[in-house]
Amino acid sequence: MAKIWELYKNSHWVEPFLIGSICLFVGISAVLYLLITASRNKKIKQEKLREEYDLIIVELMYAVVFMDAPFSSVKDDQNYAVFLKNPYFREVLTESVINLHKNYDGIYAIKLEEFYKESELINSSFKKLKNRKWEVKCKGITELAEMNITDSFDTIVTISKSKNKTLKITAINACIKLGGTTGIIHLTEHPYPIDNWTQLNIINAFKKHDIGDTQGVEYLLESKNTTVVSLGLKLIKELKFTQKLSHVEELAEKAPNILIQYEAQSVVQALTVNLISK
Amino acid sequence: MIFNSETTWFIDAYILLILGYAILIMSSYLVLAYLSTKALRSYLKKNSFVDYEALLTSEFAPKLSLIAPAYNEGFTIEENVKSLLSLNYNNYEVIVVNDGSKDNSMEILINTYGLVLTEFNIDLKIETKKIRGIYTSINAAFKKLIVVDKENGGKADALNVGLNIAQNPYVVCIDVDCILDKDSLLKLAKPFLETYGKRIIATGGVVRIANQCVIRNGRLIEINIPDAILPRIQVLEYLRAFLLGRMAWGRLDGLLLISGAFGAFDKEIALLAGGYSTKTVGEDMELVVRMRRYMVENKLPYSVSYIPDPLCWTEAPEDFKIFKKQRSRWMRGTIETLTLHKKMFLNPKYKLLGMLSIPYWTFFEFLAPAIEFTGLFITLLFIFFGFINWHFFFLLVLFVYTFAVFFSVIALFSEEYTYHKYPKQADFFKLLLAAFIEPLYFHPLTVYAALVGYKEKIMGTKGWGEMTRKGFNKKE
Repeated sequence: MAKIWELYKNSHWVEPFLIGSICLFVGISAVLYLLITASRNKKIKQEKLREEYDLIIVELMYAVVFMDAPFSSVKDDQNYAVFLKNPYFREVLTESVINLHKNYDGIYAIKLEEFYKESELINSSFKKLKNRKWEVKCKGITELAEMNITDSFDTIVTISKSKNKTLKITAINACIKLGGTTGIIHLTEHPYPIDNWTQLNIINAFKKHDIGDTQGVEYLLESKNTTVVSLGLKLIKELKFTQKLSHVEELAEKAPNILIQYEAQSVVQALTVNLISK
Repeated sequence: MIFNSETTWFIDAYILLILGYAILIMSSYLVLAYLSTKALRSYLKKNSFVDYEALLTSEFAPKLSLIAPAYNEGFTIEENVKSLLSLNYNNYEVIVVNDGSKDNSMEILINTYGLVLTEFNIDLKIETKKIRGIYTSINAAFKKLIVVDKENGGKADALNVGLNIAQNPYVVCIDVDCILDKDSLLKLAKPFLETYGKRIIATGGVVRIANQCVIRNGRLIEINIPDAILPRIQVLEYLRAFLLGRMAWGRLDGLLLISGAFGAFDKEIALLAGGYSTKTVGEDMELVVRMRRYMVENKLPYSVSYIPDPLCWTEAPEDFKIFKKQRSRWMRGTIETLTLHKKMFLNPKYKLLGMLSIPYWTFFEFLAPAIEFTGLFITLLFIFFGFINWHFFFLLVLFVYTFAVFFSVIALFSEEYTYHKYPKQADFFKLLLAAFIEPLYFHPLTVYAALVGYKEKIMGTKGWGEMTRKGFNKKE
């Protein structure tokens, strides 16, 4: 201790400190430079690989979706067999299947769903749900919901109770896609406030997936959580659920607070206008 | 040379003082960079799952009023307004405030957008210069557009006119000559919906340099790094400031500055706080500080949000004269804001703002150029009188130089792993070269410009001075 104090007092430490710091800055800069270069090279490589895989995937999808080739024949085909074992190829393949599914309806969509199951891409999505990282979970949820895997509904409902907002929104959206209004009924018991952004996403999910069955939306109006009540009102207003008018009128009379009362009255007004114009 | 013990003590104390200051400033940069990187990673992860379409299609999206003050912008105003009218957002209006331009800006606007004088009920909550007329378009395609013609009163006054006229609860204040990303409003509006029980009073976005980028129809088509060294280093400087600095302050909720080029505000709070101050040239920073102060003093829970996405692209000065004007004005703005709100300095009542943000700006933004200049001057004097040897001076300079390069490399690293906006190899090397030149060429210029700012403040210089711009697309 005395030695250190002596060193400090004599300022003899200054030069070694400066030299050491300079070396440290130069060293770390060099490492960062190498990391930047490595990242750039990796990106270039991945881009090339992706281009290569995209060509194969186009062929593969064409055979499966449009030429009715069964997956068993594709699996045994030497041209595809090697790639199907490659994790990066499977990742690109999953993305392609999901994107295609977004753009197709009817028989083509069903064929894509079958391919997703038979190729066991579905297993990777289920595995993602168990991952500790929330972003991986989100990815898995998005994939399963897009491919209409209703078996995942209960797991996703459990995940939707998470405190992580992004994960919660992704899971609730998936629940709505897979189960319609049953996907949000559990929100009536939700203990925390739901912010406007989450509410907006839930409403958007209803619009996006064209949920016609409105059975149960009125339960949201009975929640003790005022943000859930507000969500129910917004949902009824934006989607013009005129059949829920009586429930909203009832709420307007017995609202838990003035803000909700005002919101309910405004929804009653909007729905009445809708009914008259019909 | 042998000195007596008092002289030795004095020299040692001096060395420790300047070294201590340097280490403190460097450490603060590194801590901020660390916090920024963490916040940036988290933001990008979350953002990859955000569906902005929800905001685009919803009637519950926050209603925005864009306020774009214009002074002598006749050369580009037609295209700039067109690009403002075609942003991806539904609930918004565009208020162009012609601040007594001497050119034909008004004529161009009237002819291009079919404007006619309109009766408008204005609630004059903030006093401003006289409004000559308010115009709206007879063409339904431009129904979002309102043009205000007023007497010249400066940027703050023009923004206040916009605040008085805005019909929506949130205002987005922008520079009319900036290029906005198509989704910029969606990203800027989102934070206003995100908190519960806490009011988001302002949201700031990242500004990047657009010199030599290809711009067509008011949209950014291709990103390039400028060949000219001054704007090129400013690209790097903006990366350092926005990616490694403001992001961290945003995370700490201690952000004092939202760039005047692009920021959104809760209109009610902005008006309650008194609007933009016409007494300072740093009106953007001053408003944020005043709004924050208002919230703290009225014990209202609040937050200021920050979006790290590059949403706004601006033209950096290429000429030293204009650069000097800009930077000296920034310094005057900083001094004026800190002076106006000196009550907050180290005042625990203002929590993080008073105990950290304001002192940080005082010591590392306002005083840094003076300390640096004085330090260099005294050190050179010490060398001249033989108190310090050249070897030590060289080590000290090298210490500062390597840190500056190191910090720039961190910014490049952060950009590489986040937005990767400069994928061309040549652009990356241009920026890397800029990192080596910056401490030797650019930094002394900024210190000089800041010293000019001090002088102007002492001499009582007011106003912005003429800021000529060269315009984009030089290399197209």
